[in-house]
Amino acid sequence: MPQEPGFGRFAEPSLLILVSLSDGPKHGYAIMTDVEAGTGRPMGAGTLYAALARLEERGLIEPLAPVDRRRPYRLTGVGATILAEQLRGLSAFAQQGLRQLGEIEP
Amino acid sequence: MRAALIRLYPARWRARYGDEFAAILEERSLGPYDVADIILGALDARLRSRRVGAPTTNERGVDMSLRVGGYTAVLAGILVPVGLLAASDVIPIDPTIGIAMFMLGMLALLVALAGLSAFQARTHSMLIWIAFALPASGVTVTILGAIGMIIFEDEAIIAGISSWYIWMFGLLTVFAGSLLFALVTYRTGALSRWAALVLAFGSLAPLVGLVTGASGLFAILDGPLIIAGVVGYTIGWVGLGVAALRMLQPASVAARPA
Repeated sequence: MPQEPGFGRFAEPSLLILVSLSDGPKHGYAIMTDVEAGTGRPMGAGTLYAALARLEERGLIEPLAPVDRRRPYRLTGVGATILAEQLRGLSAFAQQGLRQLGEIEP
Repeated sequence: MRAALIRLYPARWRARYGDEFAAILEERSLGPYDVADIILGALDARLRSRRVGAPTTNERGVDMSLRVGGYTAVLAGILVPVGLLAASDVIPIDPTIGIAMFMLGMLALLVALAGLSAFQARTHSMLIWIAFALPASGVTVTILGAIGMIIFEDEAIIAGISSWYIWMFGLLTVFAGSLLFALVTYRTGALSRWAALVLAFGSLAPLVGLVTGASGLFAILDGPLIIAGVVGYTIGWVGLGVAALRMLQPASVAARPA
């Protein structure tokens, strides 16, 4: 969430959470393991819930009914739109960097 | 250990996330990294909980739009019609005071339009700024025409046109613009819809009255229409202003779990 104000140091975890939820609802522990599998780095529970609270407050995700104390979260329509915008922006930025390095054709 | 870490979080946070957070902590062993991460998360939650309830910059901007727009709409709703009637010798007030009241009312109307438009623009940006532009232009031309009348009296100042015609053109634009603003305000539903409808009538009636009076058709109607219009114009703007100010009053909020 680099361009979204108010996320601070939780911008990157928030983006990782949105990506994790993009293929369907997940509860907190599933998000943590998903993020760890995707990035190779662990995400702490404190970081996870700080980011979840912000995403929920902004209406980018919404909680579902808890199952055995585990509450799943899912992406909202606004969340999906913001995520797509962020990923397109990152993709364009990555393409530009690769072009400048000569890794891909200009 | 886990329970102690969860208690670092504020009560409101625990009420919302505590159970699922505890379930996650039970599913994994906690290393130094996890403990540090949770302590930082708790600190973040406590800092954020202090900010809950404090108005944001955006909220302060909305409050300011409503307050300024509300007070000046009430002021304009009273000063413009009274000043106009006094300046025209219809009511027994010194015409000079009437002109001053009218000019002050026009300035208040310009500020009211800006304030109430800014508030409504949060949801209907394009529509409301188009509706703002017409009456705001009318107010500007009316003020210029009134200043021209004071300085040049009946002299022609532009292409054989005297200041009175400029003033009258501006005034008709103000009424037409107020009609447009009232209809858009009714459409947004952000303020009082009944006040918007009354303002729409109060803006339309003088225009119709002037047309019927000038054309000689239904001339008998022009006086009552203009009077009804003046009353409607006053009630409409005052109603919109009061509706804006009432929105500033704190609403009763259901108690959240501690």
